[in-house]
Amino acid sequence: MKILVVDDFSTMRRIVRNLLVELGFTNALIQEADDGENAIAMLRSMPFELVVTDWNMPNMTGIDLLRAIRAEPKLKGLPVLMVTAENNREQIIAAAQAGVNGYIVKPFTAATLEEKLGKIFERIAASGASA
Amino acid sequence: MNAISPTLNGEALPPELQALFNSTDGAAFEQALDGLLRQREQRLFRALGLLARDLHNAMRRIGGDLAVEGAPATMADARQDLQDVLEMSAKAAHRSLDFAERMRPETESMAQHASEVLAHSSGDPAVAALARQAGEFAASCREGLADMVLAQSWQDLSGQRIKKVVSFIGSVENSLLELVRLTGALAGGEAPVAAAKISSQDEADRLLSEFGF
Repeated sequence: MKILVVDDFSTMRRIVRNLLVELGFTNALIQEADDGENAIAMLRSMPFELVVTDWNMPNMTGIDLLRAIRAEPKLKGLPVLMVTAENNREQIIAAAQAGVNGYIVKPFTAATLEEKLGKIFERIAASGASA
Repeated sequence: MNAISPTLNGEALPPELQALFNSTDGAAFEQALDGLLRQREQRLFRALGLLARDLHNAMRRIGGDLAVEGAPATMADARQDLQDVLEMSAKAAHRSLDFAERMRPETESMAQHASEVLAHSSGDPAVAALARQAGEFAASCREGLADMVLAQSWQDLSGQRIKKVVSFIGSVENSLLELVRLTGALAGGEAPVAAAKISSQDEADRLLSEFGF
């Protein structure tokens, strides 16, 4: 399984990577990007199964990355989990309207990450079964 | 026709104005009024320009005073200091993460060894108890390491705030210089080409002096 972790802070990318390993994604190939622009370029060049992205980043923000993913026929079905310090109503609504699959407010716990990831994969499994 | 004697706040107007009010030459009246208004505007803009210069000097003085106590002397220094804080806190967080990543496999192998010993302890209660204890210790270490990793996310949260303050300082500095540029242009100086971004104290001083402040 290939996961792309997008955050402009190298510490946060490493923390998410560590937590994913802790949650049992030991065989996952975890790649990193430091902003939305680099992320979308990587998503176009190789297949990923999950994107975990921050909101506040230079060049291209997380919400713009999410919109870009949903606008591309090849990428639009990709699950996107947002992990962000932005927790105001408008932003959460904007993310929901843009088609986010999960929204985690920082600081978060491993249990929260596990729960949101679980929900995302449950839904994928359910839509796969009904398709 | 009787001459009109307008008053301002109960006081009679200066004779030249009185004369203008009573003049029948409309063009001369307009011209004189325009002149008066322009004079007032010039005074206002010059005052604004001087205000901007004073503000700028006050900020430099404040910077100089603080520098005695080891604080940053200029806005650029303040920005750099915050940038350094950001990098130092990131470095500290990475060191903690290094430690957690190094220790995690060790807890795994300890747990593994403990369960092997437990399986082969062949009834020795002391060995079994120690193996069980080691296994529990490995598990709680692992949990503690995960918590420590998570605690490093405060570096990201505090860092984001620092970044916002850095950009705020930059925008205050630019607004101040824009005010100086604008008031200078209004006060009669030539506006410099396209209000280029000001990056150094020298440039700021040069710009201010262009307008005679």
